[in-house]
Amino acid sequence: MNIKITHNWLLEYLDTKATPEEIQKYLSLCGPSVESITKSGDDYIYDIEVTSNRIDTASVIGIAREANVILNRFGINSKLKNVIIPKPTNLKKLLPLKITDDEKLCFRVVSVVMDNVITKNSPQYIKDRLEAIGIRSLNNIIDITNYVMIEYGHPTHVMDYDRIKTGKLIIRRAKKGETSVTLDGKKHNLSEQDVIADDGTGRIVDLLGIMGCENSVVTPDTKRVILFIESNNPHVIRNTSMKLGIRTVAATYDDKQVDSELTGIALNRLIQLFEELAEAKIASKLIDIYHEPKKNKSVSIEESDIGKLMGIKIPKKESVEILSNLGFKLLSDKNQTLMFQVPSYRSHDIDIKEDLIEEVARVYGYQNIPSVLQPAVYVEQPKEMEDLFIFQNKIKLFLKHLGLNEVINYSMISKNMIEDSGLKVEDHLRLSNSISEDIEYLRISLLPSLTKNMEENKGRRETLKLFEIGKIYIPVETGHAPSLPTETYRLGIAVNTDYADFKGIVEAVYRELNIVVGAGRDLPFPEIIEKLGIFTTEIDLQFLIDNCQLVPKYIPIHPYAIIKLDKTFNLTGDSRIAPTTYAEIEQKAFKSKLLQKIEVITLYQNKLTLRFYYSSPDRNITEEEAKKELEKI
Amino acid sequence: MDSKKYKVEINSAKNLVELSKLEIKYLGRNGLINELLSKIKDIPNEEKREYGQKVNELKTEIKKYIEIRKLVVGKEKSDVFFDKTMPGKAYPKGSLHIVSLAIEEITKIFEKIGFIRVSYPEVDWEYGAFESLNMPANHPARDDVETSFIDAPAHQKLGKMVLTPHTSNGQNREMKRVGKPPIRMINISKCYRPNWDATHTPMFHQFEGLCVDKDITIANLKGTLDYFAEKYFGQGTKTRLRPHHFQFTEPSFEVDISCNVCGGPSARSLDASSLRMTPTDVGVSTKKCKVCKSGWLELGGTGMVHPNVLKEGGIDSEKYSGWAFGFGIERVIMMKYRLDDIRNYYGGDIRFLEQF
Repeated sequence: MNIKITHNWLLEYLDTKATPEEIQKYLSLCGPSVESITKSGDDYIYDIEVTSNRIDTASVIGIAREANVILNRFGINSKLKNVIIPKPTNLKKLLPLKITDDEKLCFRVVSVVMDNVITKNSPQYIKDRLEAIGIRSLNNIIDITNYVMIEYGHPTHVMDYDRIKTGKLIIRRAKKGETSVTLDGKKHNLSEQDVIADDGTGRIVDLLGIMGCENSVVTPDTKRVILFIESNNPHVIRNTSMKLGIRTVAATYDDKQVDSELTGIALNRLIQLFEELAEAKIASKLIDIYHEPKKNKSVSIEESDIGKLMGIKIPKKESVEILSNLGFKLLSDKNQTLMFQVPSYRSHDIDIKEDLIEEVARVYGYQNIPSVLQPAVYVEQPKEMEDLFIFQNKIKLFLKHLGLNEVINYSMISKNMIEDSGLKVEDHLRLSNSISEDIEYLRISLLPSLTKNMEENKGRRETLKLFEIGKIYIPVETGHAPSLPTETYRLGIAVNTDYADFKGIVEAVYRELNIVVGAGRDLPFPEIIEKLGIFTTEIDLQFLIDNCQLVPKYIPIHPYAIIKLDKTFNLTGDSRIAPTTYAEIEQKAFKSKLLQKIEVITLYQNKLTLRFYYSSPDRNITEEEAKKELEKI
Repeated sequence: MDSKKYKVEINSAKNLVELSKLEIKYLGRNGLINELLSKIKDIPNEEKREYGQKVNELKTEIKKYIEIRKLVVGKEKSDVFFDKTMPGKAYPKGSLHIVSLAIEEITKIFEKIGFIRVSYPEVDWEYGAFESLNMPANHPARDDVETSFIDAPAHQKLGKMVLTPHTSNGQNREMKRVGKPPIRMINISKCYRPNWDATHTPMFHQFEGLCVDKDITIANLKGTLDYFAEKYFGQGTKTRLRPHHFQFTEPSFEVDISCNVCGGPSARSLDASSLRMTPTDVGVSTKKCKVCKSGWLELGGTGMVHPNVLKEGGIDSEKYSGWAFGFGIERVIMMKYRLDDIRNYYGGDIRFLEQF
């Protein structure tokens, strides 16, 4: 998430002469990333990226803490200001307030009633700061809650005491079928996972940690308010907020783990500002339901582990100093093992020694760590993986040089594409949360996409020759445990020229890989599909790998004569007398052991003229011998 | 045979057509040479050998003259009109996909420092995409990784079937395949996330580096990133690490590379006016670069492999350490070649494809 704070606001908690540019530069190198600075009046707005583990830095005080440690490291003096938020005094129990959380749904709930609230405009500095960071200033009541949230990094909430009527807040799980209307006027259907507060009569008055309800929201006439701050269970908040589609700023805080020690401090700050800016007075006892107050947490690390992972020796003194500056307390230092107490605002983020190393390393500065390649070692690449890449490359380059263009298509295709290709939709795996029906099914063939490419490029170029090498995903049906699909690579080719051109390309691929296919051979020629002037075929890459020969079998060169004979065949003649296709002629001709090769000379109407090359590797044959062989066809 | 006659005839041939007629006349099946050879039967036996040799010499001689004359007439202007400034015969060029080119380039860069390219499934269980990477169910970090799910029964232990949202599912698989470090892996694969707009396609490619061994350090990660940046983006390219957070690494970083449009941060810190140059002279804008933020461009995420990820892969995290990164192929192409309309990558438009 990103958070915005302003420079002047930061200076209320941090004493420093650092310029905004310096703060941006050094904070980004060693802490949260300051993505931009924008000038706004006499103030500057920082836009800061906060990672989900560091929700403690999504606040003015959090950034002040980080900046303090980092700026000093870069030689810019800075000091945290000793801001004291007074504990509320003058507690008067004039108005009843009862809050229960019997199921311990919250980690902590704090609350108080304030009377004599005067709704008016906020002072200029609050208005300016909120508007600068993109929060609309409404009135002092609403503004204070937002101001404290950004300042301390804890969502806060205010409700109209009189609109709740009962002075009671019962925290419980929603019941199936219950509904609530949030303060934006939207009605939501709740389920048993959602946590709500009711006023003791069953009327839902708050959606905890997510959004207040219309029936309890403050109005311009509000006189008495309940200040209400809970430390929520992030899983519950996440679940409800995602399900109901309510992504308020409060929910983005509450679905991470906000420090429950902060909950009480945030209330004190809220009370302080209500007294100061709304002339309000405390009118109830202070409620603090804290089921299990946080215990101190400690993490140990061996001194040498720090330098060992960083790749540079760090003096112990320096590591300890960096960690202390960050709020970690050295509890013990025995036998080279250092034990640190984790500050409460970091307790959800720091668990293992690597977390401590990260703290030392980032403040020490990644720029100060040397750059050294690890020693090279030999790791064997599995042959089948190596082959996949070598052959893919070889084939891609070959086709490119033949003049084809490589295309990469989405692995997902549409129902229409499947049906148009004559495939069955039910043979495909389907995405359950596809964002478009164009990409709903995992392809089991490359041809639907290639055909689409050909259609879409129609008119752009006269000649189109495309190929793709990519995976297909065949569902695996098993009786018992579900199984991942079989992923295999295919080569797909599509052209709009003619049959002979297309067949030539396919033959060239086989020739390049020294694979002999065709009629009468062990390996079949792939099926060529022709549809509306587009020729396509698809070949399994593994088939090509398995049958390929990088270097073909060597045939010794011999000095004996080669007899060339031409013969013309009538392809529309009687097939009982003579063969009527090239394939038949070829098959018959190669029965002769003397035949070396056949060349096509011409095809004129139905007359096919072929040239036959006869020779023997161990003697000169005579023309008569060759003629005899030819006669047999 | 009159030697003068054939010399004159050959040397006065004006073009290749005339020459080939002479070739037939002298060397053809029914040519003069064959005629002379056929007369050998009339020659007394003791002279046959000498006769044969002479005829062969003559044949070689005639061949030689014809070849020489061919070269001469070939060079002279032929009767056919021809313009030598015209393009030559058009050979087909074809093209490879820009992503294929990048994959090859990246594979080779890492091969040189001992990294092997692997191939792992693009459809995997949630376990591979998340749990094995220290992202348990309901973890908010999973939100950052929007995922496409497959409409198929879930596996009892391994969770739902997903399209891999990153190449990191290769980490656990490679650890288990190797069994024991060293690991030097580069996993390049298609990845999928349900995003489709001007800057996202629902399918993209990542390359994932994983290095696990004894004593692997942040310094080693920096060394590798510097090496890659220089090789891929060009000499002088710098990298920097900034703190970040990923579940599967600890510490985690984001890597930036120095911008090769404005020359990076060092060029930007030059005060053009003090060098008495205008910004155009030094080739940089002293104010703002169109491409980068303050001289740096974000490359992607990286970090030291989280001990839980090592443990899940069956590797003793006390004995071994490692680093990992996952960067987008399309992203590095965009950074290097400024090919920024990513939707064209997979649109199949011939006008895009044929350019590479």
